Amino acid sequence: MNGKILKGILIAVPAVYLLTLSLIYLDIYDKRPVLSLFKNLQSDSSLELMDFSLEKPAAAKAMPLANKDRNAYYGDVHVHTKYSFDAYVFGVTASPDDAYKYAKGEGISHPLGYEMKLQEPLDFYSVTDHGFYMGMIQAYADTSTDISKQDFAKPFHNLNRPENLTADSTAERANIFSSVLAQTIINPQPWWHINTMKAYFTKNIQLALASFDYDVHKSAWEDIVRSANEHNDPGNFTAFIGYEFTTSTDTEGGNLHRNVLFNSSTAPIRPWTRIDSINPEDLWTWQDGLREKGVDTISMPHNSNGSNGQMFEMETFKGGAINRAYAEKRMRNEPVVEITQVKGTSDTHPLLSPDDEWADFEIMDKRVGSRPPTFSRPSGGYVREAYLNGLTLDFSGQGNPYKFGLIGSSDTHTGAGSYDEANYWSKVGLLDGAAANRGSIPLSGQQINDLKEYSAEFNQPISTIDMNQGTYSNTGFTQWGASGLAVAWAEENTRDSIFEAFKRKETFATTGTRIAVRFFAGYDLASIDLSSDTLVSEAYEKGVTMGADLLNDDNQAPDFLVWAQKDKNGAALQRVQIIKGWIDIDSGTPNEKVYDVACSDGLSVDPITYRCPDNGAKVSIADCSITQGVGASELKTVWNDPDFDPSIKSFYYVRVLENPTCRWSSWDAVRAGVTPREDLHETLQERAWSSPIWYVPAASDIVVIPLGGTISLGDS
Amino acid sequence: MKSKITVFFIIGLCIYLLDIGFNSDQNTKDIFISDQEITSLISAWKSQVGRNPTDDEISRIISNLVEEEILYREALLLGLDREDRIIKRRLAQKITFLKQESMADIPSNKDLTDFYTSNKEKYYIQPTYTFKHYFFSAENNSEERSNIAFKKVINNNQAIKSDPFFLGKSFSDNNLDEISGNFGRQFALNFNQVKLNQWVGPYKSSFGHHIVFVIYSKSGYYPEIAQVLKQVEVDLISFNKEAAVSNYIDQIKSEYKVIINPNLKFDE
Repeated sequence: MNGKILKGILIAVPAVYLLTLSLIYLDIYDKRPVLSLFKNLQSDSSLELMDFSLEKPAAAKAMPLANKDRNAYYGDVHVHTKYSFDAYVFGVTASPDDAYKYAKGEGISHPLGYEMKLQEPLDFYSVTDHGFYMGMIQAYADTSTDISKQDFAKPFHNLNRPENLTADSTAERANIFSSVLAQTIINPQPWWHINTMKAYFTKNIQLALASFDYDVHKSAWEDIVRSANEHNDPGNFTAFIGYEFTTSTDTEGGNLHRNVLFNSSTAPIRPWTRIDSINPEDLWTWQDGLREKGVDTISMPHNSNGSNGQMFEMETFKGGAINRAYAEKRMRNEPVVEITQVKGTSDTHPLLSPDDEWADFEIMDKRVGSRPPTFSRPSGGYVREAYLNGLTLDFSGQGNPYKFGLIGSSDTHTGAGSYDEANYWSKVGLLDGAAANRGSIPLSGQQINDLKEYSAEFNQPISTIDMNQGTYSNTGFTQWGASGLAVAWAEENTRDSIFEAFKRKETFATTGTRIAVRFFAGYDLASIDLSSDTLVSEAYEKGVTMGADLLNDDNQAPDFLVWAQKDKNGAALQRVQIIKGWIDIDSGTPNEKVYDVACSDGLSVDPITYRCPDNGAKVSIADCSITQGVGASELKTVWNDPDFDPSIKSFYYVRVLENPTCRWSSWDAVRAGVTPREDLHETLQERAWSSPIWYVPAASDIVVIPLGGTISLGDS
Repeated sequence: MKSKITVFFIIGLCIYLLDIGFNSDQNTKDIFISDQEITSLISAWKSQVGRNPTDDEISRIISNLVEEEILYREALLLGLDREDRIIKRRLAQKITFLKQESMADIPSNKDLTDFYTSNKEKYYIQPTYTFKHYFFSAENNSEERSNIAFKKVINNNQAIKSDPFFLGKSFSDNNLDEISGNFGRQFALNFNQVKLNQWVGPYKSSFGHHIVFVIYSKSGYYPEIAQVLKQVEVDLISFNKEAAVSNYIDQIKSEYKVIINPNLKFDE
């Protein structure tokens, strides 16, 4: 009798198990709605929230009063630590705590042993480790964990053992980064595995991957969140919970990376990652879902320059038409874009802006992470063109998905942003932490041999380049640079206040320098006395500031007020420019123009070329010293657009330029006693960009009907 | 039967003695640090910093290596050994955590008071200054204009014409770090001896010249322990954790002899 029941159970259990699996199979691959009929069968682990807030001692120092005219707060919201799958491969062992200590002014250790320390502390910071495989590579390398016993973890074993923390292990590391990792992450559990079922019922695809350990993943995320909450000090220092959504397009590997920032101590139990979906539109859906549950987030695209033109496309991720619903969803979730960082600057490209003499600035023209390095198509990858494309889409009634503000950040993978040309450690730890490895000084004979041996052993192309001065490492690191910072105009240094500044796009970006810039537009700003102490509060009263719309008012021509101040420890200012973009009213043709609006040293703008005369500032390449006594400590002016037409949609943003200084590669060369490499820029002009002000004309009677006409542009 | 036991006993004894003989060197307290280990660390340092590390810096690098090795050896003595560099570090961490855990008790009031008294400097509240200023931009002859204005202002204390300053004209409760963040380090130094309730200057900053009027200043002070109790507690616990480890290392460091090649030269 008992035997029969037992037998029944023995048959029933696997039968039910198999049945469930086949129903899941149907649901995923066949879309026959069997399981989906039961609405609450699946839970969504990515929307499960947890309050991570800590009980903390009240700060001994009183919180400063809020400033209604707002202060400029400087920060970096793109920082990786050991929890990023690649940072660990780069030899990085810095924790989130180390990263925040660095931002507050303490020195921390580079993987090569030297100290990294800021000249002046930052006001806010966010550790944004890669969401996917967060914490995982570290666990692979640590041979005491269970997951490290798996075959796929073998190449990582003891990668960061002390004798391996040298620049010479570069090829082994580069190889792991590119090939081994790619194979590892797509290795699923067998179909019958219990985790496959778990993955389905909790909408958590990563559980079904053989190389994934959910506990390790969650504990890494918890530590990142704890650290941000612990270091957040309202009034004095802001630490945001954040992570990077590291996605790309399928076939071309177009970089679509975004950082996600939380305005709360509460966070989901795990980050939404590319394993959930590689489509950024799904990320925004997730953000919308979190917002409904009371957790506000923003995502911030970066390295559009390495996206092969796919960050700011004229169509959706899947190739559909952009419509107003898409534009609104994108802008609701992504109010700001990172225009500059260590891997180049994405203002514009010489091919896109041939008339802009400053367009050839820190151009990084390779797709992010491509191996061998592969050219990235400029069009679709730079913010100025995206602003123009946004106007074009708006022109044809599709909404404007590219009405974003600007920030900079570093994308450092050592926990410590490298913003100073004269004290530069680049981004990826052991790989580019020494001058010879990043290609700024010639390799020694021994180093060339080592590189050749390693390259052969790890099946990599030998990447050296011969110049007059010697043989250099040719790894693409020469296109990277000491940049950048995010600056928010906020009432006080708190999460809420800075986050709101990001949302209303009242932000500017710098290449690491602490330039400050105010920018207003209005119809009566010329009446403001520029030498009055109340000029800022009057400008707020009478106009709009960066990130906002200026609406047509009886076809009046607007005044633009700019005020820029130099970095107290940096070079003097050379000029202030306003960059205007517009589309032709009749044809929708995009146009752009760069106007110098204020010059240093009492010089005035040429009324025909709109250029300041040369102020004579020079750099001595022998020792990187600069001409003293030229340039401005501040520049301020009210400007009118000489070509203003009240019926044309346009945008205006400010670019502030410092006098030229040595680029990091020249500093490396000077320190090593060699001449700078002949094919690199010897100097650069540090700069700041404001978010634009958009001029919105009165509604037009003309209805634009694009050819084709079959695509619905409604709010579907 | 009896003789068999004797034979086995003798074989066992031999194995035991052989084992002692062969493994005796494992028990020494010598730490050998190879030339290679040091040169690779120094060359990494040099390639970035652009100079050779100073003696202090080298000794810091080496003393870090030594401390790690010591912790590792102690772990070995506890029988946690396996020949693996990561395990070594991992074990050193484990011992560290063990030592920290044993001290994780909630500190008593006396502990807190003692800790506060001996670490007063850490809780010192810096003096702050509430001030206004006239600003003369470096863009417009700031030195001369500020000197003329200064004479005017001390004579009849009347309002004078100056330039707007990017960060405003009034600053409340700024400590010296904040002042140097806003105006530059050189400018902040003037506040060390500043006179209250009168116009002083002109002081030069990175942006021009300033005539300053300090309305009031709060002197620096050591807060009552009650005011900072929670912070003291957090600090004491984390101090105890660190101290537990360093005390532990200090205790046993003397038992180790460190061997380093005294003739090692590093010149590339």
